[in-house]
Amino acid sequence: MARRILFVTTDQQRFDALGCNGGRIARTPVVDGLAASGVRYERAHPQNVVCMPSRATMLTGQHIRNHGVWMNGVPLPADAPTVAGLLNDAGWRTGLFGKAHFEPFLDPFLRFPQNRMGVTGATNEEGRPHRGFECMEFAGHGSGGLVHYGGWMREHHPEHMLSFYPPLDGTLDVNADGGGDTGAPQVLRNPVPRAIYHTDWVADRAIDWLGGLSDEDDWFCWLSFPDPHHPWDPPDSELHRVPWRDLDLPDGYPSNQTEREVALDAKGAHWRRWYDGDLVSNFEAPARWVPATLTADQVREVDAMAHIENELIDEALGRLLSTVSNRGWDDDLHVLFTTDHGEFQGDHGLLFKGPFHVDALMRLPLVWRPAPTTGIAPSVVNDPVGLVDLAPTFCMIAGIEVPDWMDGAPLPVTPEEAARRQRPAVLTEWDSVHPGGSEVHLQTVTLDGMVCTRYEAGTCHEGVEGELWDLVGDPLQRTNLWDDPVRRALRDDLVAELDALLPERPADPLRTQAPV
Amino acid sequence: MGRDWFYDRLVDVRRELVIAASPDEVWSVVAAPERQAEWFPGMVSSVVEETGEGTFRTIETAAGGFIREEVMGVDHGARRFEYRIIGPFRLEHHLGRITVVPDPCGSLVTYEQELEPKALTYVLDGAVADALNGLRDLVVGGRKSRSWVEPTSAPGRGGST
Repeated sequence: MARRILFVTTDQQRFDALGCNGGRIARTPVVDGLAASGVRYERAHPQNVVCMPSRATMLTGQHIRNHGVWMNGVPLPADAPTVAGLLNDAGWRTGLFGKAHFEPFLDPFLRFPQNRMGVTGATNEEGRPHRGFECMEFAGHGSGGLVHYGGWMREHHPEHMLSFYPPLDGTLDVNADGGGDTGAPQVLRNPVPRAIYHTDWVADRAIDWLGGLSDEDDWFCWLSFPDPHHPWDPPDSELHRVPWRDLDLPDGYPSNQTEREVALDAKGAHWRRWYDGDLVSNFEAPARWVPATLTADQVREVDAMAHIENELIDEALGRLLSTVSNRGWDDDLHVLFTTDHGEFQGDHGLLFKGPFHVDALMRLPLVWRPAPTTGIAPSVVNDPVGLVDLAPTFCMIAGIEVPDWMDGAPLPVTPEEAARRQRPAVLTEWDSVHPGGSEVHLQTVTLDGMVCTRYEAGTCHEGVEGELWDLVGDPLQRTNLWDDPVRRALRDDLVAELDALLPERPADPLRTQAPV
Repeated sequence: MGRDWFYDRLVDVRRELVIAASPDEVWSVVAAPERQAEWFPGMVSSVVEETGEGTFRTIETAAGGFIREEVMGVDHGARRFEYRIIGPFRLEHHLGRITVVPDPCGSLVTYEQELEPKALTYVLDGAVADALNGLRDLVVGGRKSRSWVEPTSAPGRGGST
C-alpha cells in the first residue's frame, strides 16, 4: 500500500480566507470539506512573516536562526537538509509545482539554480533532484519572472505577457502604481483567460506529474499556489464572483482616522513610521506607497480581489483531488493545506506585510486531512502550532524518524495530544536590514492565549519596547499590554519562555543577495 | 566632513579579492570592457561600441535582459575602470568602479558600486562577489565563467563568449 502526501500551500493568505475558519466571503468548499473530515488548527503561526524565511522553515523543519534565511533575498544554502530530500532518499517520488522561493527571484545573472531551471525549462538541477525534489515547475506572481510559467506563457500566449500587473517598476522597486476602480496599489484589471491563469496552470502541472506515477509509488507533491499574494490581478472574467462594492469593511479595519492612528501609536514606533511613509523595512511592500493614503474603498477592492483568488485556488485544488480520487488513491492520501504568512488586507488600516507580529500576518489557515485509512477522527486543535512542525509531520507520515536537525515536532491531531506537547509555545522572528538605512528586529512567542513581542535595538527601537496582546480579550489587538504594570510578571514569564526557545543567532549571518 | 565621509556614504557595494597574479596581468583583463562576459558569471555577452558621444557597452544577461552602460574612464596609471548603468533601469545614480593595486600575494582587486535607488544593491553585491571569483579563475586558471544560456545577440554584433 503506497503512502501519499499532498502538501498544498497558498501565499500570503489570511486565516479568515476560508469558510471553515469563519470566512464569510470566498466560497471554499473543497478546503472546508477537508477540514470537516480532518484536523483544523485554530492557531498555526509562521516562524517569519515573509516568504523566503517561512518557506525555508516549511522545507527544513528548522527555526530561522538554524536554517539561516533571516530575510527575503537570503538564499537557503544549497546543502541545507530538507524533508523532500529525506523522502526522496527513502524512495518517495517528490515534486513541487508553483512557487518555491527558496532562492531569490530578482536574479539577472542567473546565479541561483531555481532561476536557471525556470529559464531553461529544466525540471531538476542538471539531472539531479533539487533540494530533494525530482521534478519542479515554478510559477510566480504573473507572467514575468524566471519561472516555467513565464516560459510557457511566452511560448503559448505571448498576447497575454503584458496582461498582468508588473510587480516591479522601472527602478526595480516594488511597483506602487494603483489600478482597478479605486486606484489601490498592486491592483489591475487582467484580461487573461482563467484557463491560462497561474492558479490553474499550477494544478495542471501537478496533475500531469501525478499522471506519470504508478499505484505503487509513495509520493510527496507540494502544490504551491502563488495567490492570493499581491499583485491582485485575477482574471477579469471572475470579478463577478465578489463585487467589491457589496463588501463590508473587515472587522480589523478602523475606518475612523483618529481611532486608527491612536491604535497605531499604541504599538511600536515602526508601525506609525511605516503608516506615515517614513520607514521602508520590507522590500515587498511598495516603498513609494504611503499606507496612510489607503481608503476604505481600496480596502474593499483588495479584499474582493483576494477572495476571488481564494475561490480559484479552492476550485483548482478540487480538480486535482478529483484526479487523485479517480486513480483510487484517496484512502491513502494525506492532505495538508496552509500558507506561508498572512496579509493585512485592511487590518489596522494597512496592506501587505512587514515587521508586524499580529494575527493578520501570523494567524494562518492550517488543515490536515489525514489519510482515511489512519482512522484519525475529525478534530479542532486550539493550542498554537508552527509551520516548523510540518516537516516532522511529513516524516512521521512516511515512517521516517524525525532527524535531530529538525526543530519542530509532528502536529498533534487532538486537543489532548496538543496539551501533552513538550513545548507548546511557538516562536516567530523578524530581522531586516534595508540598504536605505533601516534596521528592525523582533522576537515573538505565542503561548497561553498571549502574543509577546520583544523589540531588539535598531533604527526604530531602543531595545526596551515591545508588544503584549491578549488574544482572547482583545482579538483585534488594539490594546498593547507591554507596559501594563499588572501584566509585568506575565510579560517577564513570556520573555523567559522566548529566551528558552530562541536558538543562538549565527555568528556569521548569511548575506542578503537580492531584495526578494 | 571630507571626501572620505562622502565616499563611504555613497558606496553601496564593495567586494575585494586577492588574486595570485601581477597587477598588470589582472589589469589587462579588467581594462578590456568587451571581455567582461569572460569572467562575470551569468553575463552572456559584452558588446562595446564607440560613438561620438563616448564608449558604450551592452551587456546581455543570462535572464534574457540587456543592460546599457557607459564607460566613464579607463585609467591605466591608477589601474581603475569606471562605468555607469544608463538603462533600461531608471537609476538616479550609478557608478561601478574596479581597481587593481599591488598586494604581497599578487593583486588586490576592489569592485565597488554606488547606486540610487537601492533596490539593486543586494543583487549587485552577490554578482560582484561571483565576478571577482570569475576574474581569478580566468586570470589564474584560464577558465571562462559560465553564461548559462546561449547569447541571443545577432551575429556580427560581437560579444566575447
